[in-house]
Amino acid sequence: MLYCEQLLTRDKLKSTMAQALLEVNDLRKTYAGGFEAVKGVSFSVKKGEVFGILGPNGAGKTTTLEMIEGMRPITSGTAILDGIDVQKDTYAVKERIGIQLQSSSFFQNLNLLELLKLFNDLYLESADPMTLLKEVGLEEKAKAQVKELSGGQKQRFSIATTLVNNPVAIFLDEPTTGLDPQARRNLWDLVQQIQKKGTTVIITTHYMEEAQILCDRVAIMDEGKIIALDTPDQLIQALLKRGFKPQTKVAPATLEDVFIDLTGKDLRD
Amino acid sequence: MKRILTSLWSLTVASTKMYFRNKAAVFFTMFIPLAFIGIFGLLSQSGNSKLTLDITNQSKTPLSRGVVDALKKIDAFKIKEVAQSEASDQLNKGKIDLQIVIPPEFGQTGADGRPRPSDLKTFYNKAKPQNGQTANLILGQVVSGLNAGISHTPQIIALKSQGVQTNNLGVIDFLLPGILAMSIMQLGIFSVAFAFVSLKTTGALRRIQATPTHPVNFVIAQAITRLIIGVIQVLLLTGLGIWFLDFHLLGNFFEFMFVALLGVIIFLAFGFTVAGWAKDENSAAPIANLFTFPMLFLSGVFFPRDGFPGWLKTITDFFPLTYVADALRAIANEGAHLTQIMPEILGMVVWGIVMFVVAVRVFRWE
Repeated sequence: MLYCEQLLTRDKLKSTMAQALLEVNDLRKTYAGGFEAVKGVSFSVKKGEVFGILGPNGAGKTTTLEMIEGMRPITSGTAILDGIDVQKDTYAVKERIGIQLQSSSFFQNLNLLELLKLFNDLYLESADPMTLLKEVGLEEKAKAQVKELSGGQKQRFSIATTLVNNPVAIFLDEPTTGLDPQARRNLWDLVQQIQKKGTTVIITTHYMEEAQILCDRVAIMDEGKIIALDTPDQLIQALLKRGFKPQTKVAPATLEDVFIDLTGKDLRD
Repeated sequence: MKRILTSLWSLTVASTKMYFRNKAAVFFTMFIPLAFIGIFGLLSQSGNSKLTLDITNQSKTPLSRGVVDALKKIDAFKIKEVAQSEASDQLNKGKIDLQIVIPPEFGQTGADGRPRPSDLKTFYNKAKPQNGQTANLILGQVVSGLNAGISHTPQIIALKSQGVQTNNLGVIDFLLPGILAMSIMQLGIFSVAFAFVSLKTTGALRRIQATPTHPVNFVIAQAITRLIIGVIQVLLLTGLGIWFLDFHLLGNFFEFMFVALLGVIIFLAFGFTVAGWAKDENSAAPIANLFTFPMLFLSGVFFPRDGFPGWLKTITDFFPLTYVADALRAIANEGAHLTQIMPEILGMVVWGIVMFVVAVRVFRWE
């Protein structure tokens, strides 16, 4: 039954891949003190793609994300998600998306199953908590509390909570910050797995390698503005066309390759 | 509507589980009040539990003799009739709990043949204020019994038994409602303030905001959990008091419970105000103590406020904890009904409304 549904969504996905799921137009955020965190940002995200927002700290990534999610009031501009204006119907948008906050934390003294059941009720959904935990590889931790999980497990559980309402899109804000290379790779697998099911993923990150591997397209933000938006390959080509020469010889392998080769890909949770 | 009910139920279940799995919270709200009452109860029961009274009867009227006889028949009292100077001396040395002086004009009949208004003077031992308060309370019942009798029938003997049959109120009867009021205050202010500030700083509250459920549902769920714990506190403390410590609940149990829960609601508003003000756990404790400390010592929880200077008594009259403690005591000790403690209830309702307005104004989600 579940498998059939998945096939159906995949078929639907093929025909609608080109359609825009999210349209952001001239989005701005000015805080009470007069600080302009986001200065007119426009982009669109296609259904089923992994869209990355890159940028240094303070570039306005999180603020942009939170305005689209309905978590922060929009100063001006519009964000239309799945045909719904975020400003006009915040709750309808929240019903359709999954949000992982940058520093996600959960109620203490409840185990993972109890927390997922709670999230079910908050979305009026009845997703099976155990199936969700299996999806993120945490079925053995069902009775554990969040504080007993490792960094990588916490992030995977956090992603599981974004999936209870079978969302059209999930928003991941720096999900791999602070994780070891094994846990980071494991999370990439999870994101790709989620994309395969037809869910759109909007992700922010500081790791360029991660963006290159995961994202279909990336927007690079700096000082509240988008300064580049394209596929990772196109962005690299454009840079080379401008006559860019790497300062050091590019080694055929990186230190991270050495690290993974020596320590293996197995999770150390 | 379905969303509200489903999420409210689920959040209440979650809050209650969180509460009872938090050992520190259970310790402070359940064990500490029990320990307080247990210790005080045992202390007050050890040794001679009778209250010692010295009476100086300067009046030779039948009414004054009636009063003395009525008092002598009360089990809780050990009474001596002595001269006023000797009684004062005994009181100063801390040998007795209460000194009663029946003035010469007591019980005299006026020109119209009706008894004139008469005063009884009492002096109590400041070192043992609870005993003095308890003795005064019993005395008050005897006197009101006599007064009731005077207006109905001229025969004083008939009403004497009314006074004698009054309840043997002990120190625990003064202490238990006070400690219950204190526990209710701590439950409302501390447990809510700390829980919310920690959820705010860790971001767990923001995660709820990321769902289609309005976070106000979570606030209501937290309040419902505190009311449930309040009910358990009342059952636990009064049950323990009645079965093991000779506590008397003269009034209606449900009226007693009603006042207690009204108290929980008021102090929840205080708790949410603290949670709104405090930026983190470190600033929550001082702000909460700012509210609770003065009330703890000035609201007559552990000792009566009778010894206060007039101005202090007037100020503390308006403390929310004073209202709660006094109302609980009136129901337990005097068998008062809600209609008889309207001033206290009104005081509580006003505090409740004021603090909820303040709480809504200062509360921040992040």
